[in-house]
Amino acid sequence: MRELLPELMYAAARHADYADARHVRVRSERISIRNAALDGLDHAELDGIGVRVRVGGSWGFAGVRGDGREQAHEALRRALDVVRRQPTAPAAPLASEQPAGGRWESPVGRDPFEVPLEDKLTVLAAAAEELRSEPAVALARASFRAWRTDKLFASTDGALCEQRLTECGGGITAVASKDGETQVRSFPSSHAGHVAQAGYEHFLGLGLAAAAPRVAEEAAALLRAPACPPGRTSLILAGEQLAMQVHESVGHAVELDRVLGREISYAGTSFIEPGAPGSLRLGSELMNVTADAGTAGGLGSYRWDDEGVEGQRLPIVREGVLSAFLSSRETAAETGLPRSGGCMRAESFDRQPIVRMTNVNLDPGEAGTLEQLVAATDRGVLIDTNRSWSIDSRRLQFQFEGEAAWEIADGERRRLLRNPSYAGMTPEFWARCDAVCSPAEWRLVSLIDCGKGEPGQVARVSHGSAPARFRDVEVGMA
Amino acid sequence: MNALEAAERALRAAGAGDRAFATATRERSLLLRFAASRPTQATAVDDLAVELAVLRDGHVGRASTNDVRDEAFSAAASRARVAADAAARAVGPGPYPGFPAPMPGPAHAGHDADTARLDPARGRAELEAAFGAAARAGVEAHGIWTAAEVETAVASEGGVAFDLVTDAFMKVICIAPSGRSGYASATAARAGALDGGSLAGRAAAKATAQGEPARLKPGDHPVVMEAQALGLLLELLGATAFNGLAHAEGRGALAGRLGTAVTAPSINLSDSPRFPRTLPRAFDAEGVPKAPLPLIEDGVAHGVVHDVSSAALAGASSTGHALAAGGSASGPLPANLVLAGGGAADEAALCAPIERGVYVTRLWYANVVRPAQSLVTAVSRDGTFLIENGRVTRPLADLRLTDSVLGILGRTQALSATPLLTSDGEFYGRRFASGVACPALRTGCVRFTGAAY
Repeated sequence: MRELLPELMYAAARHADYADARHVRVRSERISIRNAALDGLDHAELDGIGVRVRVGGSWGFAGVRGDGREQAHEALRRALDVVRRQPTAPAAPLASEQPAGGRWESPVGRDPFEVPLEDKLTVLAAAAEELRSEPAVALARASFRAWRTDKLFASTDGALCEQRLTECGGGITAVASKDGETQVRSFPSSHAGHVAQAGYEHFLGLGLAAAAPRVAEEAAALLRAPACPPGRTSLILAGEQLAMQVHESVGHAVELDRVLGREISYAGTSFIEPGAPGSLRLGSELMNVTADAGTAGGLGSYRWDDEGVEGQRLPIVREGVLSAFLSSRETAAETGLPRSGGCMRAESFDRQPIVRMTNVNLDPGEAGTLEQLVAATDRGVLIDTNRSWSIDSRRLQFQFEGEAAWEIADGERRRLLRNPSYAGMTPEFWARCDAVCSPAEWRLVSLIDCGKGEPGQVARVSHGSAPARFRDVEVGMA
Repeated sequence: MNALEAAERALRAAGAGDRAFATATRERSLLLRFAASRPTQATAVDDLAVELAVLRDGHVGRASTNDVRDEAFSAAASRARVAADAAARAVGPGPYPGFPAPMPGPAHAGHDADTARLDPARGRAELEAAFGAAARAGVEAHGIWTAAEVETAVASEGGVAFDLVTDAFMKVICIAPSGRSGYASATAARAGALDGGSLAGRAAAKATAQGEPARLKPGDHPVVMEAQALGLLLELLGATAFNGLAHAEGRGALAGRLGTAVTAPSINLSDSPRFPRTLPRAFDAEGVPKAPLPLIEDGVAHGVVHDVSSAALAGASSTGHALAAGGSASGPLPANLVLAGGGAADEAALCAPIERGVYVTRLWYANVVRPAQSLVTAVSRDGTFLIENGRVTRPLADLRLTDSVLGILGRTQALSATPLLTSDGEFYGRRFASGVACPALRTGCVRFTGAAY
């Protein structure tokens, strides 16, 4: 393959202004326990070659299964065929890039694919059994996920680089039902738990069985809890809910393909204008966001993106002011940037790379621990786990609902509240941020189902954050 | 190699005594994307993937590969066997009763040989037609044109079944210099049914509608929804109300409500794989033939959909709605929802009785808030208008709805006559095109909880 892809690029260079090719092999495993039974045990191994060509200002791409010379040249032929038979688009440059070369592997302790299935099933079954010890829990679920992605990338610029990414993790969910009311609690988060770029040690370290009794108890308690009252109050976001807030209202909003109108067809656009960096205030001075392709354990970490551009650490927001976008070679050139931000990723061999988040992290502040932040809050609610999410096509008006909230009164965390929703407009909401907890509270959260692109692609990303407080937020509208 | 040959060879590789079920899916697809009336990304896919499911003591282990050599099939069968054995040892006997014998199902008209050619020139012609119509209206066109042929074959010791379908989809979002947008789309089994010029014309008319955009405060307002908007809500209802697994576990929106009135009497909703304007399928992922299934009749909840797993839990039979052999973790879903039309001629007739209300072309980022209540939230997009004194008068800033789908249907006052096949054209994973056929609807009120301004 290390000979085949450069040979393919040599052939492509005769027909296209630029071309790249990826051989991608993905191995994945999903195990799910539902109550006391197996819910699903899936293993997949898929590989193929994706070839992307640029003619004029448009891209042609073809993905074919397999790893042979015949398949590779067939992919090139098809990519050229579809791009040539489109209406013409004016030529546009790509931001220049030194050809990538070398090999990189994400750190991994114990290979999750070498661990016997029985071991994983035993961990999951024990966690599910703990959840079911609470009588009100009608449905107990525990899951494990793992991926290994091997990618070899070559381009007509002379790049040839190879990466292996290993990711694994899991989580638990308790669904409690009584008298027509249904409530859910998840751990560590609701979106398949916590998956990290790591080995099996990360999954074991989650402590699913140990957390299960609390999770089940909270699910049952939510059945009896009062609904989050509507009104305006202080809102403390932590964990997954804050990660989701960063993801939807900041991460997607600063994708340069959206900003330039390339995603209007599906994902939408952005309220941010292309010339906004350096002048647009996105939030309070406590808001600092960094896109970091090198965050340890982050699902948005890599050495090179799927255009062969090195992963970078980019300040996205500094003291509340927008400073940079997530970009590609094409979008960087269009906006006059000297270099791509290295944010192009493709889900698989049969999808072309698009602008994606790396690890878009909210930098920690100086507000101490979560409990100190609660103590410094007279009235409000605390939400830490996401249940529902939606934001408009400009990434401006959002509405979220958590699995649970805790009422804060006189600086104390008090009763549990069910159905805690909140809403806002992105810049106004972030302008209300008046506290971010200290570095010791900073955690990574994973989201493994971020959809974008046509045909659709799912990306796995992580966001780091420490709990933050937002003043005078509308809650309880749903 | 076609999907049928791959499924049969994979089943042979599994060996006797494995109680195996093989599924092979071949996708050939072409998708042309455009923005600002220029082509941007074109994607051609050709893949053939095989999944082997092996049953042991009520547990199903599954393994997939897109390597179609016999040794790869044997390796996949081995992985599936090891998985099922491990589950049986770790958690004891499981609940899965056994794979049904695949049945081919009746013939359907869901394949078009011309579409299956995936000719880029056809797509180019539709893009150029859309660009031309957009230019004449002074707007930019964004969207996709796509077509595909998908072969699906299932095989077990009980038999084999093969299905061959095509699908085509085009959407155009027009953006006017004012920043206002409009949307139009078409979904069909035949690429020849897509008309880029017509779609762009309709989308452009919405984007260029005259008048200063009005702002409406959140609250309860009468609404006319085009089929596209209603189709998305019905899709969410499919997941929250008609999922037989959630229903059997008491989590579904119809739990305890079957046989009772759940919507207005004018609502007749079914899963109808033979409806002329839907995308037909011969069988589900477990090889169970597709057949019409009433879900809501004259406003009364009639039933839910099942795969083999949920049917076993509910003491029912599979209705042919499995998403995976052995059952999907999320349960079964209806894939051919059809809402019967009513007596209104068109959207204008639906608007006529409304003194002041909201006209919604499509909804965006719809998500379930509380499934047991069919409570969802979504934002209007690409064509939201104010209805005043019985007609659409001017553009309206987009609004966020948060309401129960069953509640919206319960407040239904009228439906347009002709159901249209609607889809968002989202093709995640291996392509499985589906859509909801429904008319436009007028409902007495929808609860809006926010405004996008």
